[in-house]
Amino acid sequence: MRRLYELLEQDTRTAGLTRVAVSTVAVLVVWQLVSMVVTNRLLLVPPAEVAVALVKEVETGAMWTNAVATVTAVTTSFVVSVAIGIAVGLALASSQALSLTAGPVLGALNSVPIIALAPLFISWLGLGFASKFVLVIMVAVFPVVVTTEAGLRATDRQLVEAARSFNATRLQIFTTVTFPYALPFIVSGIRVAWARALVGIVVAEFFGSFAGFGFAILAASQTFDTARVLGYVIMLGAMGLIGSVLFAALERRLAPWRQE
Amino acid sequence: MSTAVRLKIEAIDKVFKRRDKPSIEALRNIDMEVAEGEFVSIVGASGSGKSTLLRIIDGLITPSGGRVLVDGRPVDRPGPDRAVVFQQDSLLPWKTVIDNVAYGLTLARVPKADAHRTAQRFIDVAGLHGFEHHYPHQLSGGMRQRVNVARALAVNPKILLLDEPFAALDAQTREIMQAELLSIWQETRKTVLLITHQIDEAVFLSDRVIVFSARPGTVREEIRVDLPRPRDLHVKRSPEFSGLVDHIWTLIEAEVRAGLRQG
Repeated sequence: MRRLYELLEQDTRTAGLTRVAVSTVAVLVVWQLVSMVVTNRLLLVPPAEVAVALVKEVETGAMWTNAVATVTAVTTSFVVSVAIGIAVGLALASSQALSLTAGPVLGALNSVPIIALAPLFISWLGLGFASKFVLVIMVAVFPVVVTTEAGLRATDRQLVEAARSFNATRLQIFTTVTFPYALPFIVSGIRVAWARALVGIVVAEFFGSFAGFGFAILAASQTFDTARVLGYVIMLGAMGLIGSVLFAALERRLAPWRQE
Repeated sequence: MSTAVRLKIEAIDKVFKRRDKPSIEALRNIDMEVAEGEFVSIVGASGSGKSTLLRIIDGLITPSGGRVLVDGRPVDRPGPDRAVVFQQDSLLPWKTVIDNVAYGLTLARVPKADAHRTAQRFIDVAGLHGFEHHYPHQLSGGMRQRVNVARALAVNPKILLLDEPFAALDAQTREIMQAELLSIWQETRKTVLLITHQIDEAVFLSDRVIVFSARPGTVREEIRVDLPRPRDLHVKRSPEFSGLVDHIWTLIEAEVRAGLRQG
């Protein structure tokens, strides 16, 4: 037990994977125990039944259809959000006038739950890809805008001065100092954007779609098929986790000096 | 030593204008010359504008009046003939030692292979051999300042400008770095202008020490240091050395005390 604890404390990849494994097992055990107490299968089903439901979804091909719908919609709109977010953040950081006029509106929008506008987007854009695309962008773009602007403004003036003293052009200062300095900030914004994009896609699929994880969850819950509901929730959880781990790793890679 | 004037500073004034506040006169009518291959230091209490003068010489800020000439040509912006070793950490934290040393060359669009070859040479000169692929955060303060010195030397400037390069180091490391800087200077014969508040550092390293008075900064006195070269750290225990340090200290003591009271 003690040796396991020491392993968990380490800063290695094995230790990291072990931590994930240990907490996953812990959740499964608690889940199993709770489902032995709560015997109403409409409210909760044990992990094994969820696994069975997931296998069945794969066998019928429904999993594939839903995965394709959700993954394509969320990744395309996520990539577009990141691109727009960085572009807008760049514009705000390079123009004081723009930052002063547009900044407050963007800041306010960042704290407004735009997700509440989902029904409106769907009535504007109809059921299908367009409304998902726009809703995800609307919720995911702001964290990227805010962190890009903050990162670009945070630049170490000492580093800029050193670059200038070596005769760097404005473009060179941007590419060799300002942007690399901002990158870890931007990636942390992208990490938040990914989590928000997943929320956005599920809500969009709840309201207006014929395929996707959100659609499947809603359909399953309307037939009281709790095992399927939880199965698709796990799929979404896995997507969130993968993104979070990937972007955290990227952040560490881009800014190793921040760790120590 | 050649007597050609490498750096000439003519009647430099600098006034910082501030919105809603009285402007600050940082420098008034500074005249000085540094000969080719000479090592000159500027000492003064804080507020004497010595770092401002260094930035004017490098072309990072423009003077309110007067001009800077390098080899007789006026300069008003940074150029390859001057390089600065800055006070604090000004290394790029995401670049390795060799890429940091090659930074100035990369900006000047020197091909990477050539830039790395030159960088390697100055890494060796600065005693950084074996640390080429370390990142700045993995190095001690002394090692980081070596990288800073190597980076400035790598662009092969005619004039090396040092802005309190060892101020952030502990006393022992500073002594070692001073001795190393001296041996690098003896090897490369660069023209050096050092800004420092350490009087003993200025005397130990320089051919000439220029003492600034504070608010506004003006040249108060120029002191020739005739200690024999090559010098090593033992020279600091000689009576001539102590005499020079004492003399400079009495020149700026009153201002340092005044600065203390003003906070």
